[in-house]
Amino acid sequence: MSEQVEHLIRKEYAAGFHTAIDTDTLPPGLNEDVVRFISAKKNEPEWLLEWRLQAFRAWLEMDEPNWAQLNYKAPDYQSISYFSSPKSMEDRPQSLDEVDPKLLETYEKLGIPLHEQEMLAGVAMDVVFDSVSVVTTFREKLSEAGVIFCSISEAVEKYPALVQKHLGSVVPQKDNYFAALNSAVFSDGSFVYIPKGVRCPMELSTYFRINEQNTGQFERTLIVAEEGSHVSYLEGCTAPMRDENQLHAAVVELVANDNAEIKYSTVQNWYPGDEDGKGGIYNFVTKRGVCHTRAKISWTQVETGSAVTWKYPSCVLRGDHSVGEFYSVALTNNYQQADTGTKMIHIGKNTRSTIISKGISAGKSQNTYRGLVRMNPGADGARNYTQCDSLLIGDRCGAHTFPYIESKNPSAVIEHEATTSKVSDDQMFLCQQRGLDPEKAVSMIVNGFCREVFKELPMEFAVEAGKLLEVSLEGSVG
Amino acid sequence: MGVLQARVLELAAIQNAPAWLSDLRYQGGERFAAASWPTRRTENWKYTSLAALAKKDVAAAHAESVEFNDLAMIDADAYRLVFINGVFSEKHSDALPPQVTTFAAASEEQITVVQRHLGRLADSSEHLFAALSQSVLEQGVLIHVAAGQCLDKPIYLLNYSAGKQACLASTRNLVVLEEGAQAEVFEQFNSDGDEQSNLVASQTEVVIGNNAKFKHYRLNLEREGITHAGGVFVELGRDALYSGFALTKGAVLIRNDYVLTHRGSGAHVELNGVYLPRGKQVVDYHTNIQHCVPHCTSSEVFRGIIGDQAKAVFNGRIHIHQDAQKTLAELSNKNLLTSNKAEVDTKPELEIYADDVRCAHGATVAQLNDESLYYLQSRGIDREQAQIMMSFGFINELIQSVENSDVVEFLMPILADQFGRKESLLQMEADALESL
Amino acid sequence: MLRIENLCARVEEKEILKGLNLHVKPGEVHAIMGPNGAGKSTLGSVLAGREAFEVTAGSVAFQGKDLLDLDVEARAHLGLFLAFQYPVEIPGVSNMEFLKSSVDAVRKARGKSDLSSVEFMKLAREASKKVKLDQAFLKRGVNEGFSGGEKKRNEILQMMLLEPSLCILDETDSGLDIDALQTVADGVNAMRSPDRSFVVVTHYQRLLDYIVPDYVHVLAGGKIVKSGDKSLAKELEAKGYSWLDGEVA
Repeated sequence: MSEQVEHLIRKEYAAGFHTAIDTDTLPPGLNEDVVRFISAKKNEPEWLLEWRLQAFRAWLEMDEPNWAQLNYKAPDYQSISYFSSPKSMEDRPQSLDEVDPKLLETYEKLGIPLHEQEMLAGVAMDVVFDSVSVVTTFREKLSEAGVIFCSISEAVEKYPALVQKHLGSVVPQKDNYFAALNSAVFSDGSFVYIPKGVRCPMELSTYFRINEQNTGQFERTLIVAEEGSHVSYLEGCTAPMRDENQLHAAVVELVANDNAEIKYSTVQNWYPGDEDGKGGIYNFVTKRGVCHTRAKISWTQVETGSAVTWKYPSCVLRGDHSVGEFYSVALTNNYQQADTGTKMIHIGKNTRSTIISKGISAGKSQNTYRGLVRMNPGADGARNYTQCDSLLIGDRCGAHTFPYIESKNPSAVIEHEATTSKVSDDQMFLCQQRGLDPEKAVSMIVNGFCREVFKELPMEFAVEAGKLLEVSLEGSVG
Repeated sequence: MGVLQARVLELAAIQNAPAWLSDLRYQGGERFAAASWPTRRTENWKYTSLAALAKKDVAAAHAESVEFNDLAMIDADAYRLVFINGVFSEKHSDALPPQVTTFAAASEEQITVVQRHLGRLADSSEHLFAALSQSVLEQGVLIHVAAGQCLDKPIYLLNYSAGKQACLASTRNLVVLEEGAQAEVFEQFNSDGDEQSNLVASQTEVVIGNNAKFKHYRLNLEREGITHAGGVFVELGRDALYSGFALTKGAVLIRNDYVLTHRGSGAHVELNGVYLPRGKQVVDYHTNIQHCVPHCTSSEVFRGIIGDQAKAVFNGRIHIHQDAQKTLAELSNKNLLTSNKAEVDTKPELEIYADDVRCAHGATVAQLNDESLYYLQSRGIDREQAQIMMSFGFINELIQSVENSDVVEFLMPILADQFGRKESLLQMEADALESL
Repeated sequence: MLRIENLCARVEEKEILKGLNLHVKPGEVHAIMGPNGAGKSTLGSVLAGREAFEVTAGSVAFQGKDLLDLDVEARAHLGLFLAFQYPVEIPGVSNMEFLKSSVDAVRKARGKSDLSSVEFMKLAREASKKVKLDQAFLKRGVNEGFSGGEKKRNEILQMMLLEPSLCILDETDSGLDIDALQTVADGVNAMRSPDRSFVVVTHYQRLLDYIVPDYVHVLAGGKIVKSGDKSLAKELEAKGYSWLDGEVA
């Protein structure tokens, strides 16, 4: 530990964090000292601390955005604790008997095998099912290919130059309110580096890693794909997660260098709150990728969780002939609210983007697509195609579409279409007449509605996403 | 406070309107004073800057002596009312039927109608330009058609800007159609030369009663120097019909807000529009169709061709309120950019709170179809001419859907001029129409 | 009139014409037949100058000029007319305006003055009668909402008005019922003259019963594999194209 850091820690002591040091958990509140504490706790180099502090100072000057079609009580940022050390094995439930039975019931419906259920529920592992060995096998395979896949804290330690070069290069600290907050206090996250010309030998997933380390509510993910490389990354849990944290403000940055391809798939199923709209996660996420020449970034998301979702995975198509894609299914039920979509910024010539968005609103929920397609003056021959479809289930929900289309190039072509429909009585009647119960019928129709997006997901994910919709739609019919 | 705001408030303080309008005028002034001037962060003004307008100085509206020798007018049998710099010109206007009056000449009964409705739809607490025009409220027209009546001729409102000095030319129009009534209104805006730089504030409110029908043409044909702060606010009763056509050539800034609200079931809105800015002109259409009740329909099509360094903004909103079941709503916006310095920003929006509805919108920004160009060329037409023909065709589809043939005939040479089409083709079309 | 030597062309990297030769003298009618995918339609597109088609080798002389060197419209001015297999719809552009512009452009290239609208209308009306196309179609958008048959009649109408020296009919018979076919053929036959030539591209022999060719060529694998007189068409009808498989080397 450098002198500097030691000094800082002592400073925090002086500032009155005595209890914090003992227990490794900070009391609620956010100030510069908290930022310094987090950085020190993680043994970060000075530049990163400075970087965090810049973000924090910027955040103080910013206002929480209110333009989204969302209605929620803003979190009290001073009542949140910004650092909590990982739970020890002893603190975790010792067996499935100690896990919330409602949660297990859901796992059951999703058809998740017992040992995976244990893993998902955070049950302490013993030798019977060794997640560590799983991790080790794939790590070996990856390092053979030269791929780096580790936590961002580990990357800061082991590959400081790479991290310093790319961190904040796509989503700057001051990008927006939540990105600034994340930059100041991010707890952990993933780092992926694919060397030039390498095709990552396997799908990378936080599915494994999330058990290894209890990542916090301010994740930071950075993926760098060097020239001509290829990676497919899966994020999130396909099972519902109970999260005691109300606020989740993650940042994901993707860098696709010339001819590289990054496929980023998310199945987000944070706790959506109960039937009365109580509880649930506020999910404010900034995701963005930069495409250099002939590079491609493809975002696929299935969003069924969270009480409030504010999320716009975007592509900056900087290089000529680069390609951006966004495939999204967003389902809201009960009192959930989602304001999600994408931004496609066409800078390079002959850049292409495709947006397929499927919004499903049920219950008393509000579901908004918000997208931006921008053709810069230099984007000669650029093309965009956007298709936004909304499906309403029930007469007390809302489905909204706000596409922003900006063109400054006469040779660019933009096509946007949006439709709204409901699950028709005729469709229901047919299904029921053929013996399906109403809930099964709706889920079948909804799955059909989402097919275009599901086919973009890796196989196992697609199956689980389908089941997830079924679970999420429960109680929406009747 | 900007120059314009200060000056408008100054003008607002001069009370030379009929006394019975003074309450409304006072309210407008208060609201305009209270309104915060929009910036790029104001969602409704995201793509259109009012920074230059804020600095604009304008004089009070004053009449100019004008002869309309060269002015192209719609050749229709209509009651014409002419406003010059926002001031009613009796000299140029026709004798009016009993259903139509200027505010100044309104009878007791007509005053009651104006007081009941004026400012009710053009909400000055929400719309900046409605507040602006209400704060200097003085000149305007009431068209009030009693139940079951049908105006025998269209009402032709010609709004002309003239003179060297820029003034605030503000007019308010109120159309009230009682149950089953029918009327047709042309609104035409012109200005005298590219230098003329009036701020034209023209807000039109239309109350369409149950089963009543209203046809509305709003043609912004002003030249280069004009800033136009326009608004059309419509309320439809049960089984009512609004059929509107809007056209803008372009100027410093032409902004038109259309707000149409369905209040009774079974009603229909048809709104088509064309914008053709060139040079450094800016055209901004914001349309907002509110479906508040079940079983209503709306269909909206806007097309634009944007050339040179011009900019077009189109924001089309469809709002389906809870319980507005069985709504059918469609919106289409297509744009052609013809220069690499031109810009278009379009935002078709849907806000939907009812499930049993069919809504769709589409927006495109594109070029002329290559295959069609090839087809025309293969018949010997050179590429440039083919482009002109096709650009015109792109707009012509909407022009041809205009019901009133007098308006179509009026627009054709104006558009031909805009597109640099050959006069002979027009003549031929005219002949052809005759002979077929 | 038309002299095609060793013409090779491709579209999107795919070689379609691979050394095609064809000589057409004034007044002759040549039929080009061949299986689907042989490159029949490509020939028309290449001759008319469609952009997507890239000529990689060979030459085409038309009226003594290097055709391949000319823009699409210049080829039309020179008297080349392609009747499209799938005429495109151009909404908003009136058919009449389109026809008048075309006629004027072609006349201008031939050093003639524009027709007055009255003269033009007279011509257009006569022509539309000949192809049995209701005059109302003149007012509509170009091919907009026309049926398949109406589109083909409109092509022939254009051909009559433009008075080309070389007419290429690209599968004009496809999708036509017998009446329409007769009308189209009558239009073509009426235009036959000693200084006007036709290249009739078709898959079926049927059209050639109505438009009797002087020569019949079989196009397969991107080149002419067999030529003969009109009896060749009958032979093809009877034996099918597979009969020629041996000829395609």
